Amino acid sequence: MNGLNNKSPSLLKEGGALALSVYKNTYLRFIAFGAVLALLPVLQSAGLMKASTLSYLGNVLIYAVVALGLNLLLGYSGLISLGTAGFMGFGSYLAAIFTENLQLSFWVALLVAVAVPTLFGVAIGFVSLRIEGIYLAIATLCVSEILLKTFEQVEEITGGMQGKKANYPVIFGSKLDRSGTYLLLVIALILTMMLTYNLVNGQMGRAMHAMRGSEVAAQAMGVNLLKYRLISFALATAYAGFAGALYVFFIKYTYPTVWNINLSLYVLAAVVIGGMRSIYGTVVGAFLVWAVPDLVLKNLPVIGKINGLPYIFNGVLIILVIMFFPEGLAGIPTRIKLFIKRIKEKNAAKGGAQSA
Amino acid sequence: MPDISSAALNQGEALSIDHLSISFGGLKAVDDLSFTVNEKEIFGLIGPNGAGKTTVFNCVTQFYKPNSGSVWFRDQKGEVINLVGRPVHEIIKHGLVRTFQNVEVIKELSLLENVMIGAHTNFKASVFEQAFKLPRARREEKEFRKKAEDVLKFLEIDDRKDMLAGGQPYGVLKKVELARTLISNPSLIILDEPAAGLNDSETGGLADIIRNIRDEYNCTILLVEHDMRLVMGVCDRICAISFGKFLACDSPEGIHQNKLVQEAYLGEEEDEI
Repeated sequence: MNGLNNKSPSLLKEGGALALSVYKNTYLRFIAFGAVLALLPVLQSAGLMKASTLSYLGNVLIYAVVALGLNLLLGYSGLISLGTAGFMGFGSYLAAIFTENLQLSFWVALLVAVAVPTLFGVAIGFVSLRIEGIYLAIATLCVSEILLKTFEQVEEITGGMQGKKANYPVIFGSKLDRSGTYLLLVIALILTMMLTYNLVNGQMGRAMHAMRGSEVAAQAMGVNLLKYRLISFALATAYAGFAGALYVFFIKYTYPTVWNINLSLYVLAAVVIGGMRSIYGTVVGAFLVWAVPDLVLKNLPVIGKINGLPYIFNGVLIILVIMFFPEGLAGIPTRIKLFIKRIKEKNAAKGGAQSA
Repeated sequence: MPDISSAALNQGEALSIDHLSISFGGLKAVDDLSFTVNEKEIFGLIGPNGAGKTTVFNCVTQFYKPNSGSVWFRDQKGEVINLVGRPVHEIIKHGLVRTFQNVEVIKELSLLENVMIGAHTNFKASVFEQAFKLPRARREEKEFRKKAEDVLKFLEIDDRKDMLAGGQPYGVLKKVELARTLISNPSLIILDEPAAGLNDSETGGLADIIRNIRDEYNCTILLVEHDMRLVMGVCDRICAISFGKFLACDSPEGIHQNKLVQEAYLGEEEDEI
């Protein structure tokens, strides 16, 4: 008895110490976050979660990847793109064509789905990024629409309005099922988060910050504006192509209507709501934009019956966030910390006054 | 053309502005201006408001492209090059860095990260190496973090290194800009009104800082300043300009006694006294 009593507090303590060290190490924190996401299918098999919920969550993971890419562009470099959907769609069609029509492996398809849109993006960036301001937004919007029309019109390859079917990926000879592909999405998102973290905290990230914060200072410190605008745009496009491939492997289907301007605006909304320059914030933003309307709001009485509810929800959310949390929802923890600190200081001041 | 360029700068000279002119519309902001800065010298450029001092700086650092004239500079390999026509972002690679009149720091970054931006061109690791934190990227990051800490310590603001730049006092931000120039080991630093916005005691300390920078970092300093006490106290030589034209180039005492300069500039101050 006595031994047991002694053991359990020490176990607790060790567990606490472990949790603390995980919390303190950025990479372990990403992995822990991934582990939590990966365990969600268990809830489904235990009957605590509907099967459709897993699809929504998978969607959130995919869109979180593309939103991270846009965050690099919008949050860090201060550039705006409205072509996210087109590039993502491009990636999805390429992945579907390379696995279904050409019967090539998952890895080849993934590589092509990332590389080709990226090169395409660089070419467009090279033309439009020389001019400052809004031109990238206009150019990407046009390109996105052109891509969309191409998906519709080149029926022999894309299946036109009927869309194109794909399958769960075959990795190392074994075909994944739905939860397997979901796990793949989790791994993809966590890797993307880690790479993004590395990029934004290194020389590249500082150069992007400098570009956004002060173009003159950036130039004086040796940052080649065109080069770094191109790199950040290329990265955003690569993330979009990657997310497009993930989409087609998880949903097993891609058709033109998905890749319209609304999606680009949704990705933009996820970044603004979640928090510019915040990695976890972006994931939270993706969850709010793609999961909350369908998983939560639709089940509410009265409100749930409104047509176009997701649009209204996101619109209201954007307005509220911009009004009250310009740094996005990711800024809330910092605000709470500041608030607590202020209360403590007030109390300390009061205590000091009383003792005096 | 090594023979021409070596003739453009004599031994012991760091920078030579050679018949520089630039006009905006009909206004000649800089008009056939020439002066030479010696190595390891603290050189002041003064003139009444609108004399074109900052425009000269912008022409040297290539933010503006001059209409005519040359800017000869001895780069870090000892070669004499003409800066005119080179891309702005290339200038720092030759060993010439500048600060700005209104501090240009990145609010969302810590002081340390702001300083590390100054080492941008010293990083060799590719974007790929950075994304995967390969050894070279990690080593460079560590090396320049250490260097940035040293520079912040030198300027006595290392206790704030992890604080965000947004919300820091103006005096601290001015020092961050200075630190950002120092981390790249420049041979010439251009300071655009380093005392603007500082209080009296900060301005007093600034003169010592500027001298220390010259001695510790072994570099030449070219500055534009309105605070006459600072300019007269810290500069080895001063060039005075008015309406973009050369007036005089002399020691502080010489400038102080120069009739042309007094008329254009100092004269008004002496009337007040």
